[in-house]
Amino acid sequence: MQEPLDALETRIAELRRAIRGALTVREQDRVRELRAELRRAERSWDALVTPPDRPEEDRQGLASLLPAREQVHQALTLLGAPAAPKLIAAVHAAFFAGQLTPSRLASLRRDEERSYRAAPGARPYYLCPALTSDLLSAARALLCVSTWPLEQRIIGPLSPRVDFLTAAIQIAEAAPSLSGAATGSASAAVDRLLRRFAMNIPGAGPAQPGGSVHAETIAAAARAEFDIHFARDHDDRAQAAVRARQQLDDAEQLFGARLAAVDDTGTGRRLPGPA
Amino acid sequence: MTATDARLDSLRGSTEPLSFTARTIAALTANPGCVRRALMDAAGADKAALATHVGFPQRSGASQSPFALTRGGIFEAQVKASGGADLVRLLRDKLGLDLPEVSYSDLESVGGNTTKKVRYRRTRALLLRAARHPDQAGTLYDHPMLRLQVGGHLAYLEPDVVAFQIQGKFHVVEVKSFAVIDGQADEESVAAAAMQAAAYIVALQDMLTAESLSASAVSTDVILVTPENFSPQATATFIDVRKQVAILRRQLARMARIGVLLDELPSGLTFDLAPDPDGNYTRARGELASALEVVPARYQPRCLKTCELAGFCRDEARAAGALTVLGSVVRDDLGSLDSISTALALASGIRQPSADQADIARALRYVKSISDTLAGGTV
Amino acid sequence: MTLLTTLARLEAAVSGRARPLSRVRHCRLAAQPLVIIPLTLAGDPATPVAAMTGTSRYGQQLLVVPQPHSRDLRLGFLVGLARIVLGYIADRQNRTEVLPATKKSEERRRFADAPQVIVPNQAARDYLGLLGRSTRFLPTDGPYAVDPAVPSLGKWLTFLADSADHTGAALLADLTSLLAEHWASGQSPLEDASLAAQLAWIDPPPGMTGLQAALATEDPLRCPPAGPATDPGFDQAILEPLVRRYNRAAQAGKRAGVDRATAEITAALKGQLEPTWDAVWRAISLLRALPETALAGRRWSADKDSFTRFSSYLADGGLPQPRRDHAATAAARLDRLERAQAAYDTERALEDPFVLAELRTSGEAFAGEVVSAEPSRTIITAAGRAVLRPRFTVRTGDPVRLEPGRVLICPAHHRQRVQIADLTRTATDADVVLEVVQGMGTPGRPTPGAVPAIGELVSFTPDPGFFAQRDFPPPEQIPWTHGGPLVRRAVGPGEETPS
Repeated sequence: MQEPLDALETRIAELRRAIRGALTVREQDRVRELRAELRRAERSWDALVTPPDRPEEDRQGLASLLPAREQVHQALTLLGAPAAPKLIAAVHAAFFAGQLTPSRLASLRRDEERSYRAAPGARPYYLCPALTSDLLSAARALLCVSTWPLEQRIIGPLSPRVDFLTAAIQIAEAAPSLSGAATGSASAAVDRLLRRFAMNIPGAGPAQPGGSVHAETIAAAARAEFDIHFARDHDDRAQAAVRARQQLDDAEQLFGARLAAVDDTGTGRRLPGPA
Repeated sequence: MTATDARLDSLRGSTEPLSFTARTIAALTANPGCVRRALMDAAGADKAALATHVGFPQRSGASQSPFALTRGGIFEAQVKASGGADLVRLLRDKLGLDLPEVSYSDLESVGGNTTKKVRYRRTRALLLRAARHPDQAGTLYDHPMLRLQVGGHLAYLEPDVVAFQIQGKFHVVEVKSFAVIDGQADEESVAAAAMQAAAYIVALQDMLTAESLSASAVSTDVILVTPENFSPQATATFIDVRKQVAILRRQLARMARIGVLLDELPSGLTFDLAPDPDGNYTRARGELASALEVVPARYQPRCLKTCELAGFCRDEARAAGALTVLGSVVRDDLGSLDSISTALALASGIRQPSADQADIARALRYVKSISDTLAGGTV
Repeated sequence: MTLLTTLARLEAAVSGRARPLSRVRHCRLAAQPLVIIPLTLAGDPATPVAAMTGTSRYGQQLLVVPQPHSRDLRLGFLVGLARIVLGYIADRQNRTEVLPATKKSEERRRFADAPQVIVPNQAARDYLGLLGRSTRFLPTDGPYAVDPAVPSLGKWLTFLADSADHTGAALLADLTSLLAEHWASGQSPLEDASLAAQLAWIDPPPGMTGLQAALATEDPLRCPPAGPATDPGFDQAILEPLVRRYNRAAQAGKRAGVDRATAEITAALKGQLEPTWDAVWRAISLLRALPETALAGRRWSADKDSFTRFSSYLADGGLPQPRRDHAATAAARLDRLERAQAAYDTERALEDPFVLAELRTSGEAFAGEVVSAEPSRTIITAAGRAVLRPRFTVRTGDPVRLEPGRVLICPAHHRQRVQIADLTRTATDADVVLEVVQGMGTPGRPTPGAVPAIGELVSFTPDPGFFAQRDFPPPEQIPWTHGGPLVRRAVGPGEETPS
């Protein structure tokens, strides 16, 4: 059925031209109205273009059986350290079947916290943010598994680097076991992941740019640098965990302190809570 | 609020002042001699809205392409991922950063609070502590928030990263997505980055000196992180911005003396757009144009790329027959003359030159005679 | 910019229309140039979005990259562009001509024609160079192999872009620069970078002044920019949403959606390119209307030589041009470019009264009346021979800035060369004593007309032969088999990180 699509596309093109004109003379309200209409038209276009009888499939031909939170849990368990959504998605693409796009992670943190507060402990694990060692509040854009010890979920100043090295070691150790089962695109994803670690750890990298990377070399180099930072980072995290257990309730130990006021020194003061 | 601030507010009118960013602060140095621009910027007036309302909307350089913005965001996120792993590599390779120096603090939110004021206070606390106790200081401070006094306003500035512990100094790190190819990059882009970084450096220096610490703890070498050649791989280049820092400080000092310029204006002058409750501007166009014309401008063709009002000022300069409309080379060659018509009148001999115009007039008459001969067909 | 051109711009500003400058064309315009109008994606270097190409006004081809970030689609575009460019170049390798032997060289063959690529502006010229840089090192084997046509395209684009640095070469020409040689607009040089604006000053539509027409071209809705940068408003309102739609369709595997999105993107980019396409051919026809000079033809011969040399370099398995010059090559190149510039200016003065007039105003040439002459002046050489060295004096009001010893030519008498023997100035004039050093004949048989008569009006400009180009190829193009002085390390396939 071509005609409705043609008319729709003509309309969409008209709307775009009108938006452009309105942007030029800065008529913000009109721009908003037009954009809303444009979004509706585009959704209709999407619906019309999809042949209705084929079910949605992901690229590897497997339906996504697992919900996003399970996929994240898989990836984080492999990584063994707090990680950002992009890294989680990259690890998942390299080692596990099924699609996990970073955008599906966007609302995950908020959903997990709501689910916990509605029924604390109902689920075997929750996905929660890492906590900063200084203010014990949620760190931006880092996810953890709630069943990890507090020391593992708190990050101090050296922790981003230490966790990067931990992830490198874990991934490098997991990579060889995959090579037998890996299909073309998955092994390319593993290679990309390893390469990113290799480039940024001294002694891990390929001899020439574009040369081959070796998982054992990466693991060894990562361990060597890990040893430099480990002791101090471990102390930072342990001390912060002690404070967290004293000052935070159960929900806050998972999802971070709620900070009320900040004084002139830039450090936080918690609202006095129930004694 | 001082008397100067009050006058600037009334000059601007009833809209909220535009807040400064490093980019707009850098743009202050683009045309230091232009009083119209200096007053607008000091007052925080919306030049783009004024230009549109007065009939000369900015055409070129008005907005940035969404592709460029997205690319910039992606590249910055990539460089800063995993505790700034890319950045750590670059600092180790190019600046000899010691291996244990990997500490990373994210100042984008302070326990969930993302207001500028709070982030500034926290940044200030951490950086001052680092300056006072270098052995306990961290290495990378991500999304720090700085503050700078510009004219009558406090501007909050956000460098990409401030790095410490490199030769004991603070280094500003700027992450930009234009590529460095074979060691070279687009000059305009580099110059813009350099001037923006100068704003951050001035803010850092002032923060230290306000606490009686030495400004020399802030390096005037900026670390520019960009993609290398045609891949997304990051590389670092150094830019020496001492000159830019000096230029910016001079301009900021002039802004601080903006009251002198205000004194020369007729009382009651305002650029107010007079928005009605629906947000429509009701100021009469002709009246606004007249108000703008009271304040002298210094138009040059370069303004078309750097200032939203350029269309209006160009039209004004053209109507006056100003030589600057033809570009800086012509204006410099005929520097002592005031207008196109003067130059042509001297060239054709209709007007007699004054004493200091004698040389250029003679040259013009001579060139005119050659031109006439050419037109006549003989050599 | 000379004062002569400045005067023309002043007059243009007042009259509202561009003023003509040079009335002859110093650049060969091929009968069938290859016009390329590239568009690139903002934010990434050398990331093409589209290109419109063709060798005549009608029958243009449009290449599009519907998802500009896709490496595969980009390579597809580059292969398409390579086919067009390499095909055009191959067409110019069909016929050869024979140059007879001279005192200095043997008989040799070269191609009878050479390619000419025309782009709208300098930015497009630079962009082709950037595309050349980003493609000439791409590997043709290994995991990231590309079609060999792509690095081949890269080497040719680099060759063309490098040649454009050489003033007087016409292998890659940009129209805004060419137009500015022949017309003075009444706006600033910065605004002249817009092809549409220059054309507006030169040839405004009926009922509009040049200024009005030029101002109208600043509205990107009516007049899309000539590129390579696209209009950010277009990106925001049209292109980016369409690319997103393409992505959605591609990720969901909807073939029909991908096709329709591609069609829409193509139509949108076509709309951005067509006005510039029309402007390009208008500019070409304006330039074709000017008569071409003889020396332009001779420079084109040098271009044919350069084309022939590079073709045989590639045929011998030529490696891609190195990323950066070695110090020695760089110095030699700079020297060549400076000589080329100086030669170009003085050659043009011989054929173009406007250029001669410009050089007069800057003191590098002069015209005046012959006030005295010694046609029979003879000197005795060290060997004891008597040779003619006639002298004559020209009185000129021009601000001469040439020193004694400079060799000059009179445009009307190419066979003679004169040298400045002496120069005296008064308050208003200069008396230049000139000695004929070539083309005067012998004492027994003086050449008639070698010395101008008293009262004759003459003009003199520096001898371009002074800046003569050497005939051998530049060092980096000497194939290693010929024992060239500089040996390059081979650039292997793995040495450029794939994007």
